[in-house]
Amino acid sequence: MSTVTLYSVSYDIASLILHILGFIIPPANAALTNGNVVTGLAVLVFGVILLAASMLNTILLIWWERKLLGRIMDRRGAMHVGYAGLLQNFADGFKLFRKTTVQPREADALGFFSGPTAYLVTSFLLFGILPISSGWNSGILPLSLLLALAIFSFAPLFIFVSAWSSNNKYSLMGGMRSAAQMIAYEVPLLLAVVAVVIVAGSFDLTTIVYEQQNYWFWGPLFVALIVFVAGMLAEMERIPFDLPEAEAELVEGWNTEYGGMLFAFFMLADYLRALVGSILVVLLFLGGWTMPSWVPGALTTFPLAGIFWFMAKTYIVFGVFVWVRASLPRVRTDQLLRVGWNRLLPLSLLAVFLAATLVTVKCVWPFGCLPSMGT
Amino acid sequence: MSEMWINMGPQHPMTHGLWNLRVRLDGELIKDVDPEVGYLHRGIEKISEDRHYNEVITLMDRCCYVAGFAWEHLYTIAAERALHITPPERAEYLRVLSDEFQRIASHLMWYAAFVQDIGLMSPFLYGMRDRDLILDLYQSYTGARMTYEYFRVGGVRSDLPPGFTDQARKVLDWLTPRFNEYDQLCLGSDIFHKRCDNLGVLKANDCVAHGVTGPMIRSAGLKRDLRKDRPYSVYRQLDFDVALADSADVTGRYLVRMEEMRQSVRILRQVVDWLDHHPGPVIAEELPRWLGAPYAPVGKEGYLLKRHYPKGVGFSAVEEPHGEAQAYVVNEGGEHPYRVKFRSPVFANISAARQYMVGYRVADIPPIMGSVDVCVGEVDR
Repeated sequence: MSTVTLYSVSYDIASLILHILGFIIPPANAALTNGNVVTGLAVLVFGVILLAASMLNTILLIWWERKLLGRIMDRRGAMHVGYAGLLQNFADGFKLFRKTTVQPREADALGFFSGPTAYLVTSFLLFGILPISSGWNSGILPLSLLLALAIFSFAPLFIFVSAWSSNNKYSLMGGMRSAAQMIAYEVPLLLAVVAVVIVAGSFDLTTIVYEQQNYWFWGPLFVALIVFVAGMLAEMERIPFDLPEAEAELVEGWNTEYGGMLFAFFMLADYLRALVGSILVVLLFLGGWTMPSWVPGALTTFPLAGIFWFMAKTYIVFGVFVWVRASLPRVRTDQLLRVGWNRLLPLSLLAVFLAATLVTVKCVWPFGCLPSMGT
Repeated sequence: MSEMWINMGPQHPMTHGLWNLRVRLDGELIKDVDPEVGYLHRGIEKISEDRHYNEVITLMDRCCYVAGFAWEHLYTIAAERALHITPPERAEYLRVLSDEFQRIASHLMWYAAFVQDIGLMSPFLYGMRDRDLILDLYQSYTGARMTYEYFRVGGVRSDLPPGFTDQARKVLDWLTPRFNEYDQLCLGSDIFHKRCDNLGVLKANDCVAHGVTGPMIRSAGLKRDLRKDRPYSVYRQLDFDVALADSADVTGRYLVRMEEMRQSVRILRQVVDWLDHHPGPVIAEELPRWLGAPYAPVGKEGYLLKRHYPKGVGFSAVEEPHGEAQAYVVNEGGEHPYRVKFRSPVFANISAARQYMVGYRVADIPPIMGSVDVCVGEVDR
């Protein structure tokens, strides 16, 4: 096999497991090594690998944020559990896991429990769509970008459900803010994506990455990048747009009433979405797993180089989000909405216009020309 | 959404202490507020009637836990006036040294809490980091970081340790450029101005009507500072300016407090230089024995002394970091004060909450209350 892909790895693991099982239970050997069974298990293994990888990356991301924030704040961050505090988040996770889940007496049980669960599940779902490197995706989805953004925008619904059902005034206000904010920022975010789609000529994330072989899109589509990052910050509910969970006035907003494992669900889903946000920035604007041609070949051809560069870019992008978080105050709801509708929306329209111009003229001076438009 | 009352407190991140701000909201709009205090009442005034004069100082540290020295100073001045005692000059300078360091420490604490209220994360730790240097200084000459029990009726407990003034100068040299950094982090940000300009406006005449004092009244452009208007201790000999702003809003209070810290550094440099060149006693020599040693068994002689000590009343007013604090001590001739009464500036400042809160949004409550700088220990006493 020439190239290692995520599916080939899962297939190998699945067939290995089934052959060992068949060796242990000889009568079932023929049934177990049947091609369909192996494929079925391979898909399962595929999902488990994705789940584990996304969990692990999320926890690493939290560590990365804590360390980076610590350094910016003139302290060290987590230091004691594991090397440089690497295992601190596992310890925190276990602590939350052991805690009792307290349900407020007047809370609506169905919404209270299903809200966080659905929030987490839809966040995990995103990882099945995003390509990590060439071949490391779940398959060719012609509309993968659209699907990813559609799933991404489920969140306000679940947040609002869990906020409303916890029967707390603070939660309700946080939920309302969250819904208003996410809807306001969805529009410019999508328009910024439209700019990328116009230039790349495809909704498929893999194609978009390969369309960036001559130059990454962040340069010519700088306006779109700005709009996208601002919209992403609002979607991820991070400072300066974290007012749905503003701890100063709303006591963590929509997750005030959640503790223990349900809080961990929210926390995990928040960082999953932050990871997805960073990944989308890398895929749409920073060339995904590809590197520019002037980078020496030795740096781009080692095994799993694509994944390495992809993750490196993702963590750097997230580092920028952390940097923003460490140095900006929080805006107010009305200001946030005004910025969203009055500033970002015209900017995103400008970005779409620029993208259309770019497609028409094909070549822009410092960057070069687009690859010949796809089929 | 119909109008609703919500309780911000007694346990709420906005309160910075233990009190309750009841807010009537229409959506996000504040219709009415109702501050409720009393959750931290410890009856300090009543307890004081059952303590020796020097033992009350212990309670003063608990009165305002971020500005203990200011309250110690307030009480000692009143007690000395009631007991007709004059402290030596070096003790006065040591008190001003403690007071002004306390002002910086308290304002740094305020800065840390305030920036947290508007969502700035990093400056919170910068403020706490620099406040720690001052607490280290306190530890070196009082042995404690927050509850000092350093002042005495008639002077202070002990002189400075050797090398203290050099250490203090180092801290001052470190602090001076830090204030500019704080300004860059806050005033340099557009979002800060969006959040804080024209917010929580309380004009000068409203301040006077509600007894609001301290940085709040100075931010409204009224030049009122007890250190200048009614100089106590040795402030008359020291050269400094009163920090002023004229916007009467949250930004104005920010500017006033920042400038006050700079002025405190200026005062401290003069005080430290003076202390270097003027050794001397730090506690009055003709103190009655029962006052000098409150824990010693009261013998016949001491008992006689205190019986024959002249009666009197003492009033003092001190520019505390939060505003104007006042104390009234009645000496009826016993070893305990007959009555002690304090006026807390923060109590008046938060009582006027309805004046500067109604009409703003719920997200504005933390910055406004943060700019008031609430210390519940002194509100409830």
